[in-house]
Amino acid sequence: MNRTLPGPAAGLRRTLASWLAAPEADTRRAALPTIMVFLLPALLVYAGLTAYPVVRTFYNSFFEVADIASSDFVGWNNYVAVLRDDTFWAAVRNTAIWSVVGPVLDVVVGLLLALCLYAGVRFGRFLRVAWFTPVLLSYVVVGIMWVWIYNYDWGVVNVALRALGLEGLAQAWLGDPRFALGSLIVTHAWKWAGFNMVVCLAALHSLPSEVLEAAELDNCGWWHKLRHIIVPMLWPTLLNLYILAFIGKMKVFDLVWIMTEGGPVWSTETVSTYVYKRAFNWNTFDLGYPSAIAVVWFFVVVGFVILFNVLFRSRERMEF
Amino acid sequence: MRSLPRSAAAGSFARSLSRLLRSGGLMAAVVLYTLYSALPFAWVGTMSVRTTSEISAAHFAWPETFHWDKFRTAWVDSNFAQYFWNSTVVVVSAVAIVTLLGAAAAHCLARYNFRGNRLVYFVLFSSIVFPPQIILISLFQVLVEYDLYNSRLGLTLVYVSLQLPLTVYLLEGFFARIPQDLFDAAKMDGYSDLEIFWRIVVPVGMPAIATTVILNFIQLWNEFLFAVVLLSDQDARTLPLGIRAYMGDYFQDIGMIATGMMIAVIPVVVIYAFFSEKLIQGMTAGAVK
Repeated sequence: MNRTLPGPAAGLRRTLASWLAAPEADTRRAALPTIMVFLLPALLVYAGLTAYPVVRTFYNSFFEVADIASSDFVGWNNYVAVLRDDTFWAAVRNTAIWSVVGPVLDVVVGLLLALCLYAGVRFGRFLRVAWFTPVLLSYVVVGIMWVWIYNYDWGVVNVALRALGLEGLAQAWLGDPRFALGSLIVTHAWKWAGFNMVVCLAALHSLPSEVLEAAELDNCGWWHKLRHIIVPMLWPTLLNLYILAFIGKMKVFDLVWIMTEGGPVWSTETVSTYVYKRAFNWNTFDLGYPSAIAVVWFFVVVGFVILFNVLFRSRERMEF
Repeated sequence: MRSLPRSAAAGSFARSLSRLLRSGGLMAAVVLYTLYSALPFAWVGTMSVRTTSEISAAHFAWPETFHWDKFRTAWVDSNFAQYFWNSTVVVVSAVAIVTLLGAAAAHCLARYNFRGNRLVYFVLFSSIVFPPQIILISLFQVLVEYDLYNSRLGLTLVYVSLQLPLTVYLLEGFFARIPQDLFDAAKMDGYSDLEIFWRIVVPVGMPAIATTVILNFIQLWNEFLFAVVLLSDQDARTLPLGIRAYMGDYFQDIGMIATGMMIAVIPVVVIYAFFSEKLIQGMTAGAVK
């Protein structure tokens, strides 16, 4: 990515460089022991606490691990059971809804907020701080805060609805399967909109001015400028934000666990909470079955990452 | 940023938007969103200095008397001093270790030309997309086997591995932009490879290192999933676990829960107040295309 060395394709340049700058090629080389001094500690941590656990989870997924010390080989049984597990599919459905809808909320709100700051709304500095702060709060704090906000008797949502005379709209937001997932999605978007705002703002400030000048000459209205110039020019950033949020929401755990623990009746269960529940919060102890779910979901997430990369890369190539 | 001179066209786009802002409706939306974004936190702030009975009487009232002693109660009687200490020990040591290991690896990957360089970089970096469950369950087993379950040391090591990909990614990008001439000159002055790292890369790369330190600190300070799986002992709990446990035991004691939440949030707010630019840089790195 950021390598300053010429790649192998630049044959001529490399030959020239090696003629002209022989010492540089030398200083970029180092003896294996030197490289290992720098790299080995990180590689050991990676091997012991990332690579080995990943391999072991794959291994576990073919066993029934009812005890830390012993396990029974069950072949593909766990996987077959996962695919027949209605709760798993409910969790997939909830996670999918969240991953598709959530990022739209995040990115659209983030872009609108960034446009307000870009346009020089008054007290912009203060507003940026106020809008960004939720990003820094932990999920535990955000979750408890919003459990209170959604409280049936004295939560601010219902209190406001009653004050407006809309008594009938007051709900047990987290207690009703119809509203629980939506309520969580709103809370999650509340936390992340500020992040999308600062990224959009940075992108807005790096827009080249020529195109906006052209639009000025054509006397476009602000909506047309937004629709036909700003959004298309920010599109790579917006897409990137969408993908980041999409992948993030496929892993969502903390907020759900704090606010609803997946209930009521699985209506907010996500794949992550279900894996956790099956591993550490179930009436039977078995680490093999949740491992199988984790492996399935691992391939789904990695598959999406690869897919997005392929789509995104080919898009970029098309543009140039 | 806004004080920088901007081109006339960009300026006029901004002006046409700001005219729209002044024209009414949109300004109301900005105000509403700001209330929506900031009030929940301010509300918890007021509750943290009110007693639960006061809160039950009026949930949205301004505190009549500020009960600062609630912080002392939480700190001493509800074990929050212990939680705070645990969080501090685990997070500070994890951040120190991951910064050192990550910087060394990033320097090596950014500077030296060896077979497999990009492969190692890809391997280290790619785990950033893994769903945490793929390592969570077996990490639990591994830590139990090595007697690190339920210990701050175990959690610290896991935190190091969790933040390693991000640290290497951010630092490699910055270190690769340090001019090679600096290294050649240092070589000629007789610096060894380790001296180059310690006396050139670390000082020159300090802005990027500071960014990763702040970012890692906040992410780990707020971490919940691995802590909840890998710790069970009350005395080992970090702040997020402590708050949740308190919530579980004293569900009705809203005032005290709010005080605990503020204790957990204050360090983050202080860091944000001092280093907001660095923090935002770190979080947005790579997201702008």
